[in-house]
Amino acid sequence: MRATAADRAASSANPYLICAVAWAIPGGGHLWQGRIQKGLIFLITLPLMFVVGLLLQGRLFPFEVSQPLVALAAFADIGMGVPYFIAKAMGAGAGNVIAITYEYGNAFLIVAGLLNMLIVLDAFDIAQGRK
Amino acid sequence: MTSHFGLMVVFALFVSIVFATLMRDEPRDQLRLGARLLAGFVGGGVLAGWLLYPLPF
Repeated sequence: MRATAADRAASSANPYLICAVAWAIPGGGHLWQGRIQKGLIFLITLPLMFVVGLLLQGRLFPFEVSQPLVALAAFADIGMGVPYFIAKAMGAGAGNVIAITYEYGNAFLIVAGLLNMLIVLDAFDIAQGRK
Repeated sequence: MTSHFGLMVVFALFVSIVFATLMRDEPRDQLRLGARLLAGFVGGGVLAGWLLYPLPF
Protein backbone atom coordinates (compact mmCIF):
# COMPACT_ATOMS: atom_id res chain seq x y z
CA MET A 1 0.00 0.00 0.00
CA ARG A 2 1.35 3.42 -0.93
CA ALA A 3 1.88 6.14 1.67
CA THR A 4 -1.16 8.35 2.14
CA ALA A 5 -1.38 11.89 3.48
CA ALA A 6 -2.05 10.42 6.92
CA ASP A 7 1.06 8.24 6.58
CA ARG A 8 3.17 11.26 5.76
CA ALA A 9 1.70 13.17 8.71
CA ALA A 10 2.46 10.25 11.02
CA SER A 11 5.96 9.79 9.66
CA SER A 12 7.13 12.77 11.70
CA ALA A 13 6.08 11.00 14.90
CA ASN A 14 8.59 9.07 16.95
CA PRO A 15 8.41 5.39 15.88
CA TYR A 16 8.98 4.27 19.45
CA LEU A 17 6.05 6.37 20.65
CA ILE A 18 3.94 4.77 17.93
CA CYS A 19 5.08 1.35 19.20
CA ALA A 20 4.08 2.28 22.75
CA VAL A 21 0.62 3.35 21.59
CA ALA A 22 0.31 0.23 19.40
CA TRP A 23 1.15 -1.93 22.41
CA ALA A 24 -1.16 -0.11 24.84
CA ILE A 25 -4.15 0.01 22.49
CA PRO A 26 -4.38 -2.89 20.02
CA GLY A 27 -4.54 -1.32 16.56
CA GLY A 28 -3.72 2.13 17.95
CA GLY A 29 -0.45 2.37 16.03
CA HIS A 30 -2.19 1.63 12.75
CA LEU A 31 -5.01 4.08 13.47
CA TRP A 32 -2.46 6.79 14.28
CA GLN A 33 -0.69 6.21 10.97
CA GLY A 34 -3.89 6.35 8.93
CA ARG A 35 -4.36 2.61 8.41
CA ILE A 36 -7.94 2.90 9.62
CA GLN A 37 -9.28 -0.39 8.27
CA LYS A 38 -6.46 -2.47 9.74
CA GLY A 39 -6.51 -0.53 13.00
CA LEU A 40 -10.24 -1.04 13.50
CA ILE A 41 -9.97 -4.77 12.78
CA PHE A 42 -7.18 -5.14 15.35
CA LEU A 43 -9.02 -2.92 17.82
CA ILE A 44 -12.05 -5.22 17.68
CA THR A 45 -10.46 -8.64 17.15
CA LEU A 46 -7.69 -8.71 19.76
CA PRO A 47 -9.63 -7.42 22.79
CA LEU A 48 -12.44 -9.81 21.79
CA MET A 49 -10.00 -12.72 21.70
CA PHE A 50 -8.65 -11.60 25.09
CA VAL A 51 -12.16 -11.44 26.60
CA VAL A 52 -13.02 -14.88 25.20
CA GLY A 53 -9.86 -16.19 26.91
CA LEU A 54 -11.03 -14.70 30.21
CA LEU A 55 -14.54 -16.13 29.73
CA LEU A 56 -12.98 -19.55 29.15
CA GLN A 57 -11.46 -19.18 32.64
CA GLY A 58 -7.90 -18.82 31.45
CA ARG A 59 -5.26 -17.37 33.74
CA LEU A 60 -3.26 -14.17 33.51
CA PHE A 61 0.03 -15.59 34.71
CA PRO A 62 2.21 -13.82 37.29
CA PHE A 63 5.89 -13.08 36.70
CA GLU A 64 7.54 -15.95 38.53
CA VAL A 65 11.21 -16.03 37.61
CA SER A 66 11.61 -19.35 39.41
CA GLN A 67 9.27 -20.90 36.80
CA PRO A 68 10.53 -19.81 33.37
CA LEU A 69 7.51 -21.09 31.42
CA VAL A 70 5.13 -19.20 33.71
CA ALA A 71 7.24 -16.06 33.30
CA LEU A 72 7.14 -16.45 29.51
CA ALA A 73 3.36 -16.85 29.61
CA ALA A 74 3.15 -13.71 31.77
CA PHE A 75 5.31 -11.85 29.24
CA ALA A 76 2.97 -12.96 26.43
CA ASP A 77 -0.12 -11.97 28.45
CA ILE A 78 1.20 -8.47 29.10
CA GLY A 79 1.68 -8.02 25.35
CA MET A 80 -2.03 -7.21 25.27
CA GLY A 81 -1.44 -3.75 26.73
CA VAL A 82 -4.18 -1.78 28.49
CA PRO A 83 -6.82 -4.56 28.37
CA TYR A 84 -4.42 -6.69 30.44
CA PHE A 85 -4.21 -4.06 33.18
CA ILE A 86 -7.98 -3.46 33.11
CA ALA A 87 -8.57 -7.20 33.53
CA LYS A 88 -6.05 -7.35 36.37
CA ALA A 89 -7.64 -4.34 38.09
CA MET A 90 -11.06 -5.99 37.82
CA GLY A 91 -9.75 -9.18 39.37
CA ALA A 92 -10.31 -11.18 36.17
CA GLY A 93 -7.88 -13.82 34.93
CA ALA A 94 -7.52 -15.74 38.16
CA GLY A 95 -7.88 -18.94 36.15
CA ASN A 96 -9.80 -22.04 37.12
CA VAL A 97 -7.46 -24.97 36.67
CA ILE A 98 -10.23 -27.56 36.96
CA ALA A 99 -12.39 -25.92 34.27
CA ILE A 100 -12.53 -27.95 31.07
CA THR A 101 -11.76 -24.80 29.06
CA TYR A 102 -8.81 -23.66 31.23
CA GLU A 103 -6.08 -24.55 28.73
CA TYR A 104 -8.08 -23.09 25.85
CA GLY A 105 -8.48 -19.89 27.86
CA ASN A 106 -4.73 -19.73 28.42
CA ALA A 107 -4.11 -20.27 24.70
CA PHE A 108 -6.51 -17.43 23.78
CA LEU A 109 -4.93 -15.04 26.32
CA ILE A 110 -1.33 -15.85 25.43
CA VAL A 111 -1.84 -15.78 21.67
CA ALA A 112 -3.81 -12.51 21.86
CA GLY A 113 -0.80 -10.92 23.57
CA LEU A 114 1.66 -12.39 21.09
CA LEU A 115 -0.43 -11.27 18.12
CA ASN A 116 -0.50 -7.75 19.55
CA MET A 117 3.30 -7.81 19.74
CA LEU A 118 3.35 -8.79 16.06
CA ILE A 119 1.05 -5.87 15.31
CA VAL A 120 3.40 -3.54 17.22
CA LEU A 121 6.25 -4.67 14.95
CA ASP A 122 4.08 -4.03 11.88
CA ALA A 123 3.26 -0.53 13.16
CA PHE A 124 6.99 0.05 13.67
CA ASP A 125 7.72 -1.04 10.08
CA ILE A 126 5.08 1.36 8.79
CA ALA A 127 6.54 4.18 10.90
CA GLN A 128 9.98 3.43 9.44
CA GLY A 129 8.58 3.62 5.92
CA ARG A 130 9.23 -0.04 5.14
CA LYS A 131 5.59 -0.75 4.29
CA MET B 1 -19.24 -23.33 24.42
CA THR B 2 -16.98 -26.16 25.58
CA SER B 3 -16.73 -28.18 22.36
CA HIS B 4 -13.07 -28.73 21.51
CA PHE B 5 -13.79 -28.43 17.80
CA GLY B 6 -15.87 -25.29 18.27
CA LEU B 7 -13.17 -23.62 20.36
CA MET B 8 -10.52 -24.61 17.84
CA VAL B 9 -12.57 -23.01 15.04
CA VAL B 10 -13.05 -19.80 17.07
CA PHE B 11 -9.32 -19.69 17.86
CA ALA B 12 -8.41 -20.31 14.21
CA LEU B 13 -10.87 -17.60 13.15
CA PHE B 14 -9.22 -14.96 15.36
CA VAL B 15 -5.71 -15.89 14.25
CA SER B 16 -6.75 -15.99 10.57
CA ILE B 17 -8.35 -12.53 10.78
CA VAL B 18 -5.23 -10.99 12.33
CA PHE B 19 -2.75 -12.69 9.98
CA ALA B 20 -4.79 -11.88 6.87
CA THR B 21 -5.18 -8.24 7.94
CA LEU B 22 -1.45 -7.98 8.64
CA MET B 23 -0.27 -9.64 5.45
CA ARG B 24 -2.61 -8.11 2.85
CA ASP B 25 -3.68 -4.53 2.20
CA GLU B 26 -6.78 -4.86 0.05
CA PRO B 27 -10.00 -6.10 1.70
CA ARG B 28 -10.64 -8.64 -1.07
CA ASP B 29 -7.14 -10.09 -0.69
CA GLN B 30 -7.54 -10.12 3.10
CA LEU B 31 -10.80 -12.05 2.79
CA ARG B 32 -9.27 -14.56 0.40
CA LEU B 33 -6.16 -15.14 2.52
CA GLY B 34 -8.22 -15.26 5.73
CA ALA B 35 -10.49 -17.95 4.28
CA ARG B 36 -7.48 -19.98 3.13
CA LEU B 37 -5.77 -19.66 6.50
CA LEU B 38 -8.93 -20.64 8.37
CA ALA B 39 -9.44 -23.68 6.13
CA GLY B 40 -5.78 -24.63 6.58
CA PHE B 41 -5.85 -24.27 10.37
CA VAL B 42 -9.11 -26.18 10.83
CA GLY B 43 -8.22 -28.83 8.23
CA GLY B 44 -4.73 -29.22 9.73
CA GLY B 45 -6.22 -29.54 13.22
CA VAL B 46 -8.67 -32.23 12.14
CA LEU B 47 -5.93 -34.08 10.23
CA ALA B 48 -3.56 -33.94 13.21
CA GLY B 49 -6.37 -35.20 15.43
CA TRP B 50 -6.93 -38.22 13.18
CA LEU B 51 -3.20 -38.94 12.95
CA LEU B 52 -2.83 -38.80 16.75
CA TYR B 53 -5.98 -40.85 17.39
CA PRO B 54 -4.31 -44.32 17.28
CA LEU B 55 -1.59 -43.31 19.76
CA PRO B 56 -2.01 -45.02 23.15
CA PHE B 57 -0.99 -41.97 25.22
